[in-house]
Amino acid sequence: MRRLYPIVRDLHLYFGLFISPFVLVFACSVFFLVHAWLPRMTGARGASPRRTATGLRLPQNLDRLKNRQRVDAVRPVLDQLGVAGEIDSIRHLPREHRLVIAVSVPGRETTVDLDYGLRVATISPRDAGLAEAFVYLHKSPGPHLAQIRGNWSMTQVWRVLADAVVYVLLFLSLSGIYLWTVLRAERTVGLVLIVLGAMSFFGIVYALSR
Amino acid sequence: MPSAAKFTLWNRKLHYYLGLYFLFFLWLFAFTGLLLNHPAWTFAEFWPERKQSVFEWQIQPPRSGTDLDQARDLMRQLGLAGEIEWTATHSDPNTFDFRVTRPGHIFEIHTDFDKHRAIVQRIGLNAWGVLHILHTFTGVRLADTRNQRDWTLTTIWALAMDALAAGLILMVLSGIYMWYGLIRKRRLGAAALALGLLTCIWFAIGLKLLTSS
Repeated sequence: MRRLYPIVRDLHLYFGLFISPFVLVFACSVFFLVHAWLPRMTGARGASPRRTATGLRLPQNLDRLKNRQRVDAVRPVLDQLGVAGEIDSIRHLPREHRLVIAVSVPGRETTVDLDYGLRVATISPRDAGLAEAFVYLHKSPGPHLAQIRGNWSMTQVWRVLADAVVYVLLFLSLSGIYLWTVLRAERTVGLVLIVLGAMSFFGIVYALSR
Repeated sequence: MPSAAKFTLWNRKLHYYLGLYFLFFLWLFAFTGLLLNHPAWTFAEFWPERKQSVFEWQIQPPRSGTDLDQARDLMRQLGLAGEIEWTATHSDPNTFDFRVTRPGHIFEIHTDFDKHRAIVQRIGLNAWGVLHILHTFTGVRLADTRNQRDWTLTTIWALAMDALAAGLILMVLSGIYMWYGLIRKRRLGAAALALGLLTCIWFAIGLKLLTSS
């Protein structure tokens, strides 16, 4: 027990410090998501000038591919256009020979309107700013369009980091409980707070879901 | 006791009091965050396991009022409670469709005022579905101005989310303050904090700058 205490305390400290900025990103974005409100913060300049690229080299059968295959086929085209990021969605308009590709990096959304008949693309970026970047990171990679999600290497890295934050938070809460139990003078107050927290948590959840 | 020592003591107390109070809230949001990031985890599937039923109900067409007033009147007649979500534009005055959601239950309501009839499709979700929805149950969405929070319990849950977020921010700040007081651990702690900070800056700002064309 005496040996365990300093080890747990140090791990609690260093792991806690490492994930502090991640916790701030997730916690700040909660306010934006819960109130559907985005403050005007640095970097939000709205729509940037459009540009058009012609004479693109396109993979064959681009119009016939589906889901992940289409995403993988579109990636080299985006590289030609100098557009990097997670492909959020691809909308196919077969009659117009067009693919409308939504690409995101935290803080910027780009729409690429690709006419595969004419081999022309229009690129429309939108600078979204820091608040939207936090929201994007909070929701990334998320549960939607699982077949194509994580098609950019940075999204895969963020997925690992977001998972790691959860595991570290669980460790911090358990190690925090251990460190609190050592403080004998705080046991009663702590126990009361745990019970109050549990009552408010289960009370609200019961009322919401009954 | 000098005020600096008093502040240090209360800062420490605040750190673990907040942690203990929010324990269950934190576990829920951390665990469900993990589930949301891994939709392929089959053990937590809830949508294929949903239970559906349809029932028909005689209703009195609501007196004129806003869409929200009419929906609330219909919900009272149908004995339903939850967050109202608009699924279609109300163009035909004789029909009125909307959705009522609460964690674990979704009700799709289609009403025909001419026939004094409401058809309610009820979707029941399992415990995984309840957990899933709790994570995102705010009643509002960014870039959706039509849907507003309209159920008292959604407001209470949204306040709980706010409180947890504020609590976590305070815990981060109080933790950093406590670490700064530990002179022997400043260097290693600074390395851990800097590593986390640089990684977050890289993702929140760096990627955008790096990929701008």
